[in-house]
Amino acid sequence: MTEAHLDHVFAALADPTRRAILVRLSKGSATVGDIAKPFEMSQPAISKHLKVLENAGLIERGVDRQMRPATLNAAPMQAAANWLEEFRQFWEGSFDQLDQLLRAMKDTQKRKDTSS
Amino acid sequence: MSDTPIYILERTFDAPRELVWRTFTESELLSHWYGPGVETVIHELNVTPGGVWLNEMKMGENSYYQRAEYLEVEAPGRLVWLHSTADAEWNIADNPMMPNWPKVLMTVVTFEENDGKTNMRLTWEPHESSPEEIEVFSQAIAGLDQGWGKGMEMLAELLESLQSG
Repeated sequence: MTEAHLDHVFAALADPTRRAILVRLSKGSATVGDIAKPFEMSQPAISKHLKVLENAGLIERGVDRQMRPATLNAAPMQAAANWLEEFRQFWEGSFDQLDQLLRAMKDTQKRKDTSS
Repeated sequence: MSDTPIYILERTFDAPRELVWRTFTESELLSHWYGPGVETVIHELNVTPGGVWLNEMKMGENSYYQRAEYLEVEAPGRLVWLHSTADAEWNIADNPMMPNWPKVLMTVVTFEENDGKTNMRLTWEPHESSPEEIEVFSQAIAGLDQGWGKGMEMLAELLESLQSG
């Protein structure tokens, strides 16, 4: 999983059915038939969702042509969560530094005011 | 377009807004706070409509470049610029981490003073972005705003159960 795939991960996670599939797979590998059961969806529709998840690196498919059981790969989700956190922390961290700078500037100004 | 996703960040600074304005518009002050824990070098800062802010952040051996172009400058209350990642020659470039991140984000910052404190409101929205870029940005800010809401809760549980299992 390279960081270049993060945008695929975001797109894949945007859909509630796909998130539900990931939750299902967290309990163990499953075939398309198994996954489709609790959803009111055809197997081809589920297969399409699996394809998106696979392209994002969120699942791996078995080599067995008939069954192709799907297995969860959680690492890209962690990477996606980290990216968002980094973006937020960049600005929050910057503004923490700005807080300190403003405090120092106000102190300097006060000293000037009292000395003049 | 009314459905363009917008990210909003609000923060109150314990200082009058003239002072806060200076920290956004004077090179020495801006480089002091912008970029947490990194060395920030401002190569150019011309805070006038059409002027640019060329910013380098040094992280060890690597440098990360940003280019901003100012659209509106109304001291001390409002600042609008187009924010983008740049290459070392200051051309607008893809974000190395996220190829489909919007190349240009319109950034609007407003300052309102209230009882000696300054309420800052900062918004970002994709500027002339492709549908893919807008989609990625929507996903990201949905996550930033609500921790991805229900979806993220599910994923957090999921990650936890994987770690404990």
